[in-house]
Amino acid sequence: MDLSVKIGKVRFENPVTVASGTFGYLEKYHDAKMIKKLGAITPKTITLKAQEGNPAPRIVETPAGMVNAIGIQNLGVDAFIEQQLPVYAKLKVPVIVSVSGKSAEEFILLASKLNHAGVAAIELNLSCPNLGKKTLIAQDAKATEAVVKAVKKMARVPIIAKLTPNVTDISLMAKAAENAGADAVSMINTFSAMVIDVNTLRPKLGNFTGGLSGPAITPVALHMVYQTAQRVKIPVIAMGGISNADDALQFLIAGATMVAVGTASFLNPQAPYEVLEGIQRYMKEKEIKDIQAVIDSLIKE
Amino acid sequence: MKKIQLKARIIANKKVSSSHYRLILEQKDILRKARPGQFVHVRVNEGLDPYFRRPFSISRAQEHLELLYAVVGRGTEILSRKKAGDELDLLGPLGNHFCMPPKGTRNVVMIAGAIGIAPFFMLSDYLRDKNYELTLLYGAKTKTQILPMRSLKDNGCRVYIATDDGTQGIKGRVSELYAKIPIDTQKTFIYACGPKPMIDSVLAFAHPNHLKGQVSAEEIMACGIGVCLGCATKTKTGYKTVCKDGPVFDLNEF
Ligand SMILES: Cc1cc2nc3c(=O)[nH]c(=O)nc-3n(C[C@H](O)[C@H](O)[C@H](O)COP(=O)(O)OP(=O)(O)OC[C@H]3O[C@@H](n4cnc5c(N)ncnc54)[C@H](O)[C@@H]3O)c2cc1C
Ligand SMILES: Cc1cc2nc3c(=O)[nH]c(=O)nc-3n(C[C@H](O)[C@H](O)[C@H](O)COP(=O)(O)O)c2cc1C
Ligand code: FES
Repeated sequence: MDLSVKIGKVRFENPVTVASGTFGYLEKYHDAKMIKKLGAITPKTITLKAQEGNPAPRIVETPAGMVNAIGIQNLGVDAFIEQQLPVYAKLKVPVIVSVSGKSAEEFILLASKLNHAGVAAIELNLSCPNLGKKTLIAQDAKATEAVVKAVKKMARVPIIAKLTPNVTDISLMAKAAENAGADAVSMINTFSAMVIDVNTLRPKLGNFTGGLSGPAITPVALHMVYQTAQRVKIPVIAMGGISNADDALQFLIAGATMVAVGTASFLNPQAPYEVLEGIQRYMKEKEIKDIQAVIDSLIKE
Repeated sequence: MKKIQLKARIIANKKVSSSHYRLILEQKDILRKARPGQFVHVRVNEGLDPYFRRPFSISRAQEHLELLYAVVGRGTEILSRKKAGDELDLLGPLGNHFCMPPKGTRNVVMIAGAIGIAPFFMLSDYLRDKNYELTLLYGAKTKTQILPMRSLKDNGCRVYIATDDGTQGIKGRVSELYAKIPIDTQKTFIYACGPKPMIDSVLAFAHPNHLKGQVSAEEIMACGIGVCLGCATKTKTGYKTVCKDGPVFDLNEF
């Protein structure tokens, strides 16, 4: 059975990865044997300098999901390269490194530090403020295009543009990324959201607002992935509440090339492995030999 | 998973005060590994509602794994309806644990607010017969919410109680009992667990008196294993996760 997929020139053993910010600290709690089975892992977004993150509370539970405002707490790219990359190298699992910057220059600097063997691909988390403007980079087709183009010029590994669903038409943003030379788009990031405590009359998050994730967003994410896959030729890496193989298969059938398990891991830390096993079982039962026969197999009439 | 996601069979789930339950679980792996101050992250339901697991301190780990919990919301209400024989999905044991008192300690004072007493049952099992003067300062709303403390007393612990309405012990907050804490920076060691305002009152008492000790912190948790960074709490050295760096922190970290 061939589950391998390609992003740019890089081949991944299977289409299952994890969503940035939802999977890590592998050394202690995960079995090296299991981690290695995943197509790739995507650690939490890193920035040029260490960031301390948002005030507590940073998370709140919602029906079939959660709202988070972590604030990209991370050690900064240099500490990441020194401390985290060697761990992944030892585990022998391909790593998609997620980065975020405030300008094209910052993205270039980040990519130049990661432009070496040991990084399978770089994901640009474009859900970050677009310097000098009120929108996020990923909410502005021109800004998205400019950042992707700048990074693509110097990148030696595939470049993935991660998109926000907080736009009128996400497929237009995907198209902009494709035009700029992106090797894939990753979608979706969280939906802008808030929750209020009626007793204190205050928002439940220290940051006031946050982003909604989890099974609550799955059908919306699926529709966005479907629309986007129709519109662009580059691969789509899909996420949005994927919790089991059925969810993952829906995204693959809708046209996604890879699927990422995110929030679901908090409830069930085994979810990424169960998704992979479930896809394999499905293919075996249906006697499908190649994952390519699953991808974009939706019957449309 | 390196054996931290485990099934546990419920042996008993009994009401032990007007609003608390004791959950007795058959779970050998966690029982063997658990240290005082650690917690388990419990999935109270199949399906997606409620969506997060719920963290509970391990309150004892003798023959069986024991949790003590207060029914305060949907998750704990669902838990209270579980029956003997039912299975629960747990992550654990998680987090760091209380350290043993430093050399030279004579007086160990545990300060508990409401259900914050839970981890002290296990801690006192570890500290008994070691020549400490064990004291528990325990604050509760009212008499009917005071948990049975037999095992604590059997472990040689002296108990002082404060209730908000004065129905048992002295009337007022647990902080009314801080006068019982021997102010001896070399010989006294404090452990505190309870709601945030109580922890603040402990800090406000301990810092000017240069007392040493540890507190168990609380934050809402999603993953419980240090991944999501959702349970971060601000310490003197930056944000730390309550689930992985904690739940136990040195008093002087706050
Ligand atoms: C390390 C740790 C150990 C704990 N040990 C115990 C214990 O031994 N016994 C006990 O009764 N309770 C304990 N708690 C508190 C317990 O987790 C909450 O009371 C419980 O999660 C409430 O769930 P609910 O659905 O009934 O309440 P809801 O208010 O409906 O819960 C809503 C959300 O808030 C979270 N939440 C609510 N109260 C707290 C709280 N005090 N701390 C953290 N998250 C909270 C819930 O987990 C859930 O995500 C502990 C908390 C932590 C962090
Ligand atoms: C706690 C948390 C932290 C996250 N951190 C990041 C991050 O650092 N970078 C990023 O690109 N996306 C981040 N995300 C978004 C996820 O990667 C994912 O795009 C989104 O949650 C939707 O997928 P899901 O519903 O399966 O989680 C985070 C999500 C959560 C819940
Ligand atoms: S609950 Fe996820 S880091 Fe603590």
